[in-house]
Amino acid sequence: MGELNRRNFLKTLGVAGATISGIPANKLLAQSKSDLSEDRMGVLVDTTVCIGCRRCEWACKTAHDIPAGNLEDYSDESVFENMRRPANDAYTVVNRYENPADPRSPLNVKVQCMHCDHPACVSACIVGAFSKEENGAVIWDTDMCIGCRYCMVACPFQVPTFDYDKAIQPNIHKCDFCFERTKEGLLPACVEICPVEAITYGRRRNLIEVAEKRIELYPDRYVNKIYGFTEVGGTSWMYLSSRNFEELDFPKLGDKPAPGVSESIQHGIFAYFVPPIALYALLGGIMWISKNKDNKGEGKE
Amino acid sequence: MKTYIKISIILFTFLFFSFPFPAIAQDHSQLKFNCSLCHACETPTKSNPCLIVCPREKMMTVYMSPAKSPAVIKMDKLKSVQDLYEPVIFSHRIHAEMSEMSGGCEMCHHYNPPGDVVGCDNCHESGRQRTDISKPDLKGAYHRQCMDCHQEWSNNVACESCHETNESGKSAYTVKDYQQTRVHPEIKVPTKLVYNTTHEKGKLVTFFHNEHTDIYGLDCKSCHQQESCAKCHSTEPEKKVEKVSLEVKHKNCSSCHDTKVKTGCASCHSSKEMAPFNHLARSGFNLKSYHSKLNCTSCHQSKSVFTGLNSSCQSCHSEWNSSNFNHKVTGLILDEMHVEFDCGDCHESEDYSKKPSCEGCHDDMTYPANKPGKLVK
Repeated sequence: MGELNRRNFLKTLGVAGATISGIPANKLLAQSKSDLSEDRMGVLVDTTVCIGCRRCEWACKTAHDIPAGNLEDYSDESVFENMRRPANDAYTVVNRYENPADPRSPLNVKVQCMHCDHPACVSACIVGAFSKEENGAVIWDTDMCIGCRYCMVACPFQVPTFDYDKAIQPNIHKCDFCFERTKEGLLPACVEICPVEAITYGRRRNLIEVAEKRIELYPDRYVNKIYGFTEVGGTSWMYLSSRNFEELDFPKLGDKPAPGVSESIQHGIFAYFVPPIALYALLGGIMWISKNKDNKGEGKE
Repeated sequence: MKTYIKISIILFTFLFFSFPFPAIAQDHSQLKFNCSLCHACETPTKSNPCLIVCPREKMMTVYMSPAKSPAVIKMDKLKSVQDLYEPVIFSHRIHAEMSEMSGGCEMCHHYNPPGDVVGCDNCHESGRQRTDISKPDLKGAYHRQCMDCHQEWSNNVACESCHETNESGKSAYTVKDYQQTRVHPEIKVPTKLVYNTTHEKGKLVTFFHNEHTDIYGLDCKSCHQQESCAKCHSTEPEKKVEKVSLEVKHKNCSSCHDTKVKTGCASCHSSKEMAPFNHLARSGFNLKSYHSKLNCTSCHQSKSVFTGLNSSCQSCHSEWNSSNFNHKVTGLILDEMHVEFDCGDCHESEDYSKKPSCEGCHDDMTYPANKPGKLVK
């Protein structure tokens, strides 16, 4: 919640900044570094199919050289008692939600980076370490990263995490869509291990067709929405569900790309260099007035 | 390692080719489906069936008896060296038998046009990296079929509940091991159940399970609906039985029996255990050799009305006469002379229960001392 408040605070600040500079926030739309590829990949997560076996968590850790522990330990379902978020030692986690329509088949929601088409983290990174790749992955260069954590603040899904426990060389961590594996023609580790193929890997445009077909064929099974189709300008990972997405802790986001907000803040504050000059003029004015007051006071004594 | 591969190939081939499902040459033009569902052209022929992709749902047209299905199948079509788990040895028959009480074979075999049973890998590709992502790959398809029910009845999604872990890196777990370790006890179908009810005049209801299935021709599903493994294996505490209306209580019986309060009680409720059904005692007509194996409905065709038939053969077999009745089925082939006569010339009683008489023509002959033909049995 702390971050959410901070983000809201920053949003307000951004709007204020934009108002000062006289440029409306919605005109400052984010522009992707390169044009999005028509063939970019994505994943369709069907929360009604996922059984919550958490093998994806194990496979993800193993693929990213994070100590994964015993495979059998992932059958322990007590972890579902608490809602979990991706962490610096777990790039994906599965949360379980009740299914009022069928209490015996709960809904399991895998959480990881959504790999936005217009990523706020890419836009917010001040050293340009983040990039949206042609295959859809949003990755970053650890060597360039200075640990400012702007990406964490900018992300509408609160995905990037940080080595808070490391004093020396703390890094940013998040799902990288198994960029190293897919480069070699392998599937993302979670996709490969999923026993029920609740996560389907494919071209984003094909996945949308598949998702639309599923909703059309089984209108009773799904709510008529593909989460990630238009959210923050579209994401590579998309979800199907039988419950409203807000009830599954998916943030309610508009269709506008998230960098629209962060860039309006950054661009707004420095637009044509007017706001800084105005600010310094204001501060200078205050100084000048108070200096005059002081002089007058001295004169009286 | 090589020996293992050989053995598994042999086992695999054996299981698949010895699949006891017969190739059923159904006259599928008689099916309820519209031809254009599967055929693209007006007049499909054997050489050019012009098949299109059939719809995946509600196409199960081939019914196979679970008793004839394979008992155990080793699911090793996806076997690879890096597997974390051993292939599942699947007790097919017990699953098939239990499915009769819920969705039937089509719960898993959801697509089966006329012909042999279609294997999952006919449609579901075995590689996850593929062009057609509209349907799950083979691994996904297998697991979805299992987990749909398994997570419901056991709340257990642990891989180990079906798979053995592949610790040694080579498969050591065999069908034989399975049969020794994971066998469902035989499910005994009851013959007779006596229910103790609260009905004042007749507390006992004697229910002959075998009669209902064997004689009355009810299949499991007509009473046991939506009963999954959870019926016996539920992990949830039993719910307190709420008070239900008489109508709901008698729901399974009332489709055939009169369960109205004023008229129906006595036909099932009694103070004593009832005797099994006896057609002779009830109706006076003995179901001997020819009729004993028939379903009730083959003769009693109007639904739930079992009266109105008499013992005259003609009341059912109105089309029979001396020219089209094959007398051989009685165990006697009539000779050239007698085959010409009308039935009534020898058989005087209409229900053919009395022995035939020869006196109409012959003074010196009687049945069975003299026979009008040759015995075949």
